[in-house]
Amino acid sequence: MSLLFRNRVVEKGAQQQKGLPLWRRLLMVPVHHLQQAVSSLGELWRNPIASLMTVAVLGLSLTLPSALYVMVKNTTQIADQWQQASEISLFLRTDASEQSVATLKQQISIRNDVEAVQWITKQQGFEQFKATSGFGETLDYFDSNPLPDVLVVTPAEQARTPTRAQALLDELSQAREVQMGKLDVDWLTRLQAIVDLIQDVLAALALLLCISVILIVSNTIRLNILSKRDEIVIMKLVGATDAFIQRPFLYTGVWYGVAGGVIAWLATQLLIWWIGSAVTDVTELYQSQFALAGLTVGEMLMVWLVAVALGLVGSFLAVRKHIKSIEPDA
Amino acid sequence: MIRFEQVSKTYSGGHQALSHVDFHVAPGEMAFLTGHSGAGKSTLLKLISVMERPTAGRVRINGHDLNTIKPKQVPFVRRDIGMIFQDHRLLMDKSVFDNVALPLIIEGYSVQEARKRVLAALEKVGLADKYRHFPMMLSGGEQQRVGIARAIVTKPPLLLADEPTGNLDPKLSMDIIRLFEEFNQVGVSVLIATHDLGLIARLKYRTLTLKEGRLINDGLEEQPA
Repeated sequence: MSLLFRNRVVEKGAQQQKGLPLWRRLLMVPVHHLQQAVSSLGELWRNPIASLMTVAVLGLSLTLPSALYVMVKNTTQIADQWQQASEISLFLRTDASEQSVATLKQQISIRNDVEAVQWITKQQGFEQFKATSGFGETLDYFDSNPLPDVLVVTPAEQARTPTRAQALLDELSQAREVQMGKLDVDWLTRLQAIVDLIQDVLAALALLLCISVILIVSNTIRLNILSKRDEIVIMKLVGATDAFIQRPFLYTGVWYGVAGGVIAWLATQLLIWWIGSAVTDVTELYQSQFALAGLTVGEMLMVWLVAVALGLVGSFLAVRKHIKSIEPDA
Repeated sequence: MIRFEQVSKTYSGGHQALSHVDFHVAPGEMAFLTGHSGAGKSTLLKLISVMERPTAGRVRINGHDLNTIKPKQVPFVRRDIGMIFQDHRLLMDKSVFDNVALPLIIEGYSVQEARKRVLAALEKVGLADKYRHFPMMLSGGEQQRVGIARAIVTKPPLLLADEPTGNLDPKLSMDIIRLFEEFNQVGVSVLIATHDLGLIARLKYRTLTLKEGRLINDGLEEQPA
C-alpha cells in the first residue's frame, strides 16, 4: 500500500494486488501466519535452554491446580456415592411380624416426601454385612443372626436437605414397629463443607498461579524483545508495522503454552499415578472398589487451552509495552 | 518530490539541529547533502523518514505533508523510501537473501515473487552469486551493496542514503555512486548525505550544504575553502 504515492504501481506479487482472486488473497493471510508460527518455533528450537525453563515453569505451575482439581473431582465422586447416606435407615423391632412390616412399608411408600422404600430382611442384611464389612468369616461364629430387619427409606428430592430429612426421620420413628432410625446428616454436611473449602482454595491457588505464569512468560518475552532490539529497529526502518513485528513474539508465547500444556499433562498424570497407587492401597484395606479417575480428554484440552491462553496473554503484555518503545534513533 | 518549507528542529535540551531549512528536490533528481559532522545532515534525513518530527515548518513528500502522518502510518511512509545507512543495518544472523527479502516479506509478497525480485536486485548490485552468504562473510563494500539491494528491492520512487561511502576507499565509493546514478537514470529521486567532499567535487550534481543547521549553499559544490 503506497501512502505517499497514490499512483505508484502496486507491484506484481504484493498482497494487495488487484488481479488476484479474493480467495487467494484471503488464503495468503493464514499462510503468512503459518510461516511466522513455524519460524518462531524454529527460533525456540535454536535457543532451547531459556525457552525450556519458561515452558517448565508454565507447565509445572499448571500441574498443581490440575492435580488438585482431579482430587476434588474424585472426592465429589465419593461424596456422590455417599449421597446414599441421606437414606434413612429404620431398624425394626425384632418381634415385629412380617405382615406388620409389610403394612408399614406400604404406608411409608405412599408418602409424598418419600421416593422409595427398600426392605432389607435380617438375612439379606447379614449377607451384605459379611461381604462388605471386612469381618467376613468371623461372622460365621455367630449362632444366630443378631441383625434386625431394616427399612431403607430414600426421601424424595425436595426432602433431602439435612433439616427436612431429619424431620422425616423423627416422624417415621414414631411408628410402633420402629426401634430406632438413623440419618447421618452431620457427616454429610461436614463432607460437603470440606469439599467446598477445597474448591475455594483450588480456585484461589489457580488464580495466583495463572497470574504468576503470565508474569513469567511476559518477562521472558520482554528479554527476548530487548535482545532483538537491533533487529526490530531494522524492521521498523524498512517499513514493518508494529503488528508485523509483534507476531513472532506472540507465536513464541503460544508455543510456550503448547509445550507447557503438554508438561502439565504429563506431570499431572504422573502425580495421579503416584497418588493413585497409595489410594488403592488404602481402599484395598477397606475391601472397597475405588479407582482414582484421571483427567478426561475434555479436561486435558481445557488445560492445554488455558496454557496457550496464558502464554498468549503473557507475551501480549510484553509486546504491547516494549515493541512500541523501540524506535529507530540513529 | 522532497520539499522542505522553513523547517526547524530543536531537540529537547535546546540543541538546534536545523533552522529554517528550505529546499526542493524535484522528481527524478539526484542531489548530495553535505556539511561537517553535526551540521544537521542526519537530522534532515530523519525528518524525511519520520524518525523525527520538525519543531516548526513542513516537510512534504510528493505533496503530502508529513506532519499529518499518524504514528500508525509511519511504516507505510517508510515503504515508499529506500534507505541506505553508513553501518548497513543488516541482520547479521540472516543470509544475504533473507536480508534483501525483508521489505518484500513485510509487504506480503508471495515467496516465488519475492525470490525473483531479490535475485534481480542482487544481480543489479553484482552480488547474485553470494545470496547464500551471511553478512559477516562479506567485505564492507559488499555489505553496503546488500544494503542498497534491500533499499531498491521494492522499487521505491525515492532513495535516501546516509554516508553510503563512509568506510570505503575512493574506488569502491565511486562504484557505489555509479549504482545510485543507474537508479537515478530510471527515474528514482536520490538524496545522498556525505561529508566526502572530494567525491562530490568529481561529480556535477546539485549539492545542498548545511552548516550549523542552516542551508548555506544550494547548487554545484564550490571548491572547499
